[in-house]
This record gives sequence, structure tokens and C-alpha cells, in this order.
Amino acid sequence: MYRALARKMTFQSHSRVPGNAAADEMTALLAKVAADGDRDAFDTLFGFFAPRIKGYLMKIGAAADLADDLAQEAMLRVWRKAKLFDPAKASASTWIFTIARNLRIDAARRAAKPALDPDEPTLLPEHEPLADARIDVAARDERIKAAFAALPPAQYEVVHLHFVEDLTHSEIAERLDLALGTVKSRLRLAFEKIRKDLGDLVE
Amino acid sequence: MISLSNIRHHPKVETLAAYAAGNLDEARGVVIATHLTLCADCRLAVRDFESLGGACLESVEPAPMNESALASFWTRAGAQERAAGSASKRAANDFALDAAHPLASYLKRGVDAIEWRQVAPGLAQQIIPAEGYRKGVLRLLKINPGVRIPKHSHGDEELTLILRGSYAYEVGDFSPGDLADLDDSVPHSPLATGEEACICLIATSAPLRFKTLVGRVVQPFIGL
Ligand SMILES: [Zn+2]
Repeated sequence: MYRALARKMTFQSHSRVPGNAAADEMTALLAKVAADGDRDAFDTLFGFFAPRIKGYLMKIGAAADLADDLAQEAMLRVWRKAKLFDPAKASASTWIFTIARNLRIDAARRAAKPALDPDEPTLLPEHEPLADARIDVAARDERIKAAFAALPPAQYEVVHLHFVEDLTHSEIAERLDLALGTVKSRLRLAFEKIRKDLGDLVE
Repeated sequence: MISLSNIRHHPKVETLAAYAAGNLDEARGVVIATHLTLCADCRLAVRDFESLGGACLESVEPAPMNESALASFWTRAGAQERAAGSASKRAANDFALDAAHPLASYLKRGVDAIEWRQVAPGLAQQIIPAEGYRKGVLRLLKINPGVRIPKHSHGDEELTLILRGSYAYEVGDFSPGDLADLDDSVPHSPLATGEEACICLIATSAPLRFKTLVGRVVQPFIGL
């Protein structure tokens, strides 16, 4: 009760994390898009994720019109790459987060280093297949989301600043006027808590 | 090929989280991405942090899209080809490597083609600027067998990944794939062990501080 109240006070402006039913539905819709290029399914995904990606990009300082354009660009990557989506590896929000994050990194890198060719063939060894065959991705992502939502407000706040507002440890310290060590230990506690909740899911 | 089970030293959990969040500097991103190509455990940890990122994305306050956004999206989409093929092994790789700033794009001709610059007896290096949106310095260091790096310390912003050979110091033995991500406020002095030269990839955002005269003499040449 206290926690919920404190959360509400700290994060009034944040919408609630949608229930798992909604998240499962999004993953099912994305799988449909992957399988048959279902445009109606994609419209629903667009309605859910595009405004959140736009919000994410605005949080890190993009102006509204640019954020709108980049959110469309991110959804374009989702559309184009949908056939590569594998529900055995990730839920829709996990996959779309990585796409939005990479788009943000690419945009920043293009600005910093225009000559870099993103399609440069890699000399690195191919990744071995993920150990994911042995994990239940849906259960895992559900636990992670629940653990995140249940974090004490102070820990929730630093995780949010780190993942959404793209602040480094020292930038979070500056923003919240905390010692760097405090920020690190809050993050570490949050991560330990989340990982502990996954303990019995380990293969 | 490096045997995966031999990897004993991994990045700290918060370093993997920062990588997944997309806010490591370019140099450290390259080092982590390279470790991930070798380490399934850390790939799983990064996957979990990306899932945390997904939960965060769901919790972001939606910013309503412009009225014409969906229509203009479909216009853009109509002009573009969709990726062919279905989910494959390559897809799994793509998922993990997409954000990677692969070492290969910095090291175009591979480790064997590096033009080493001698900086001290038995010690050579190559500096690669890694000017992403968060700058870092990437350096390759080649330590001949039996050579010891001058005693130095650094903050926890430095990552070292062994590519070839091995080295050892108080913390333990490091072989290819092993990554040192330590709170190294304690001065240390790694020794290249084994028969072949040790080649390591180091990402720094903070300058190293050498503790000995030799180190301080060498430092300007290494450019640390
Ligand atoms: Zn590892």
C-alpha cells in the first residue's frame, strides 16, 4: 500500500505498465506480422508502440516532430525486420525496445561519425545460438516486468533514468544529486532483485 | 576457436545493463559486444536487461503521434522491401549483434594485420579512436611473453578483453575471451604468461595513472 502510494507520488506522469495480457497480445500480433505481413495486426502494434517510442525519444531530448519521424522510422524497421522476429527469443516489447535503442544509437553515431558503414561485414565469429532454447521467454519476460514494477521507488527511478532517459551512472548521480556510489548500489540492488526473481527459471 | 567454458572473467552486471540500455560509450560497447560473441551466459544476461528495457518502454508515457503518422508510415513502408526469409540462426545473431559496435568495423584487416607501434621493450600498441556519440578510446596492446605492464591503477571505467595469449595478476589468470571489469583503485601490474604474445583490447574513458617511474616514462609514449 505504502509502496503503491509512493510510486504514484514519484511517477504520477508515467502511465502504468500494461498488464501481461496486453503484452502477450502484442507478441501474438507481432508473430502474425512476422508470419503473413498482417497489416491490421501491425496497425494495432503501431498504435501501442509508436507513441511510446516517441515518448522515449522525447525523454532523451528529441523535439516532438523529430521524435515522431524517428518513431515512424523505428516502426518501419519493425515492419521490415518482422520476419526475423522469433517469439522463442523475445517478447514484442523486448524486441521493439532493442530496435528503438539501436535506432537512437545509430542516429547519434551517424551524427558523430558519418563515414561508418553500418552494413560492414563482420569478421567476428558468428554467435553460437543463444541458450534460449532452454528458457521460457514468456515466463522470463513476465517475471522481469513484474519485478521491475515491484521495485522500491528509489530503485525504480534509477532503472528508469538509466534505460529510458539514457543517463549514465554519473549523469543519474548529477540529476538526482546523489553520490555516484549510491546510484551504483541502487542499480545493483535493483538488478539483484530482478535476477533473484528469475532464479528458479534458470535452465 | 576459443572454448567457451574457459571464460572465467565476465563483465560486471551493471556494465551489461548499461550495454543493454544503450548507454555505454562506443569503446566499451565494442569490448562488451566482442565478449558477447564468445559468452552465452552474458548474452542471456543482456537479453534479460533488454527485456527490462522492454518493460521500461511499455511504462513510458505515450506521446501521441501526429494525426497523419500512420498514413505516412504506410506510404514509407510501401516503398521499401521487407526482409526476406524467416527467423533463423542468423536472426538470433542479428538480435544480439545489432547494437554491437563490432570490433571488425574498427579492425578491418584483423588482428594479424595490425601495424604495431613499439612503446617500450616487449610492449607495443595500436590506438583506435572510437568516436561514437559517447567517446572512448580503444587500444590494442601486445605484451611479449614474460613482460610485465608497469604498475598502474584506473577507475572502474576501463574494460580489458584478452584476444590472444594470456596474462595474470593478483585477481587471477586471464585467457582469450576473459574480460577484466574491476574496481581497480588498487595498483596492479599484469604479467604476460604463456608462449605467445598476449594481445588485449582495452577500452578506456579515464586515463591510467602509472605508479612507477618506468610507468611514468612510458606513459607519454603509450599515450594513455
Ligand atoms: Zn561473459
